[in-house]
Amino acid sequence: MDFGYNEANERFRQEIKDFLTANVSREFRAEVREMQGKGMGPLTKALILKIGEKGWIGMSWPEEYGGRNADRIDQFIFEEELVRARVPLNIGNFIEQAPAIMAAGSEEQKKYFIPRLVRGEVTFALGYTEPSGGTDLASLRTRAIEDGDDYVINGQKTFTSGAESASHIYLMARTDQDTPKHDGISIFLVPIETPGITVRPLWTLAGGRTNEVFFDDVRIPKTAMLGEKNQGWYIGSKALNLGRAGAMRYYTYVSLFEETLYFARSNPLGQQLMDDETARDKIAELYCEAQVARLFTLRSLSMVRRGINPPYEISSEKVWGPEFLVKSTEVVSQILGPYNQLWEGSDLAPHRGAFPKRYVSAMVSTFGHGSTQVMRDAIARRGLGLPRGSI
Amino acid sequence: MDTLLNEDEQLLTDQARAFLAKESSTALVREVEAANKDFDQGLWQKVAALGWLGMTLPEAYGGVPAPFSHLGLLFEELGRGIAPIPIHPTMVAALAIHANGSAQQAEAILPAVIKGDKILSWAYFEAGGDIDLSSINMSAAVGANSIVLSGKKLFVDGFKHADQCLVVCRSQPQSSGAEGISLVLVDTDSQGLSNTRLPTMAGDIQDELHFDKVEVPLDNVIGELHQAGAAAIVMFEQAVILNCAMMVGASHKAIEMTFDYAKEREAFGQPIGSFQAIQHMCANMVTWVDGATMLTHEALWKLAEGLPATREISVAKAFCNERCPAALREGNQIHAGIAQIKEYDLQLWYRRAAAWSMRMGTSIQHRRIVAREIGIVPEPSA
Ligand SMILES: Cc1cc2nc3c(=O)[nH]c(=O)nc-3n(C[C@H](O)[C@H](O)[C@H](O)COP(=O)(O)OP(=O)(O)OC[C@H]3O[C@@H](n4cnc5c(N)ncnc54)[C@H](O)[C@@H]3O)c2cc1C
Repeated sequence: MDFGYNEANERFRQEIKDFLTANVSREFRAEVREMQGKGMGPLTKALILKIGEKGWIGMSWPEEYGGRNADRIDQFIFEEELVRARVPLNIGNFIEQAPAIMAAGSEEQKKYFIPRLVRGEVTFALGYTEPSGGTDLASLRTRAIEDGDDYVINGQKTFTSGAESASHIYLMARTDQDTPKHDGISIFLVPIETPGITVRPLWTLAGGRTNEVFFDDVRIPKTAMLGEKNQGWYIGSKALNLGRAGAMRYYTYVSLFEETLYFARSNPLGQQLMDDETARDKIAELYCEAQVARLFTLRSLSMVRRGINPPYEISSEKVWGPEFLVKSTEVVSQILGPYNQLWEGSDLAPHRGAFPKRYVSAMVSTFGHGSTQVMRDAIARRGLGLPRGSI
Repeated sequence: MDTLLNEDEQLLTDQARAFLAKESSTALVREVEAANKDFDQGLWQKVAALGWLGMTLPEAYGGVPAPFSHLGLLFEELGRGIAPIPIHPTMVAALAIHANGSAQQAEAILPAVIKGDKILSWAYFEAGGDIDLSSINMSAAVGANSIVLSGKKLFVDGFKHADQCLVVCRSQPQSSGAEGISLVLVDTDSQGLSNTRLPTMAGDIQDELHFDKVEVPLDNVIGELHQAGAAAIVMFEQAVILNCAMMVGASHKAIEMTFDYAKEREAFGQPIGSFQAIQHMCANMVTWVDGATMLTHEALWKLAEGLPATREISVAKAFCNERCPAALREGNQIHAGIAQIKEYDLQLWYRRAAAWSMRMGTSIQHRRIVAREIGIVPEPSA
């Protein structure tokens, strides 16, 4: 067991921190707030390009695809610091879509997409969920029908986050009606500008944006398919499993708590609230549980580095983390009391009203990317070998 | 960074597990408990022969140099095997003697301990159940050649068969907190020292010690007179993390028994383990116990590296105390009726892990330490 970072890791973390201190300006922050739900502003684009030039994005990938074979620990550190600094880089693309393209893509696709992902020129919106449901994803209905050298797509996706600014949709569609549901699905890399695609906003409780996307006789060449026909489920679920782990997810779960801790230590109101032993007990309890979230992530990372495909550990992360996040919003709300309901725009609202926003949005993590129920199924069945029931 | 066990650690774990599966049978555990024997001499000798009582102690005394994390992993297996031997109190006291005693003291005590010829215990806690040094009231009056102990100690493990007991006492009457604390090694047959047995739910029997002017030579003071506050804290913390390791080991075993049961027991024509409600309980159980394991391992690693670990130890203990028994309760619920029956083995682990979660500091007490360590306790206003 080794729970430490070596000197090179520490140096690398410092390098990232220094870079972020130097490059994440007030103006950049203001732009991110201003542009929420409207895509990426010029400062954001410039920063992402700069990060891309540093060679940090996808640094653990093979060299021929724009990476530099770096240690996954360093990639973890990069992701952690980036998310901690709240740089809105779509890291999901680098932990889900890029590995899937590297694993299943044609040479041409790899050569086209990977370097552009690294440079921040290509971003994917994830076109999985449909109005009929997200958990039972394999029941999806959007159809892609062969027509000469093309496929023609019809159907609807929903909750397609980032579609308003993405260059492509990473789309799951049905390519065979007659096989068992998992065996008739393919993945397509569809340019968002393709005629027939309509993006309509859906606004969330926290003021963020996601979308509905309609496909109306959308014609794309067969070369837009990722991997083999009808293999999409298997390519996608592998990528989805990877996307459930990693610094980005872990940090999303504990960031509210870290902010709370900062608030409790440094803000006069926070310090005042910490005068209560019961409140301190609650915060200390959350601290303990946050460490479990961190260590679960490091455990999965350690397994992947050793070439082990974690049988259930990533699912454990995906149960513990989201439920921790939800619990932390609950606990914090009962410590902050009326201050926790003050929305952005109130001078009295701590952290510009970030707490109530996190409170209303925390639940998303418990069903997105695999719901906690389904994750528990996976732990029990794949991890513990419990039998599948008749349901 | 690699949180998994390395080759040496895995080997140690595998060997200890195999040994204890054979040597610490439930028949033996039951026999020791039924006869109020406290421990099994045969197993103690075998464990000594394997060198376990010398793990992390110097070779010169017959010990086996190893990082502290190895000792932790060993305790995890001892917990899994619910081994009926007083290895926890013996090692806690031996480590403190090694760390703080003079070469002469170490030579006089440790070789016998390592050989299995001497059992040790340690006495820290007093009435009220507090865990910090301000709760230490046992008085020790220092004379020209001796030190005289008066007062009571509670919840002392392994005392009955111990040759000596390392007692934390207050040797400066006006002192408070960590000031004026001494560690005194007391022969258990000393005049004026008596004990009352405290039967526990674990079936392992602790003792209450009564010190009625027990006179001990000054040579038996371990470490510096009046200055042993820090040493006492280290001893306490090591005891705590080894206790966590035992809880984690016992809990892993108990939840595995439950998963096996869920695969076999049938209701409504199918294995109960195929019901989603049961599966989700099982998923929680493994997640909680894994979490407890990871926290314990991180603290062990810090200790092995010589890094400050006060925070990690209390984090682990606060979590283990609540989540390990919770996992075992779920295990009981899944077993239902049979779990209440003494003949059925699950209860051997359940009662022990539960009792261990109630010793050496509650979750609330350890979270108080965590709160201090993470800097949220306001400075008292001037
Ligand atoms: C803000 C936001 C952003 C999102 N971004 C994206 C995105 O970018 N791309 C994308 O594709 N999707 C996205 N989603 C969708 C998200 O992935 C889905 O909401 C999720 O998959 C759950 O699907 P559902 O909402 O249709 O719920 P359902 O699938 O209808 O589930 C309802 C409930 O039933 C439970 N359930 C289902 N099956 C079982 C079972 N077998 N056993 C027990 N319980 C079960 C679920 O756990 C859940 O509690 C986003 C959602 C939100 C809110």
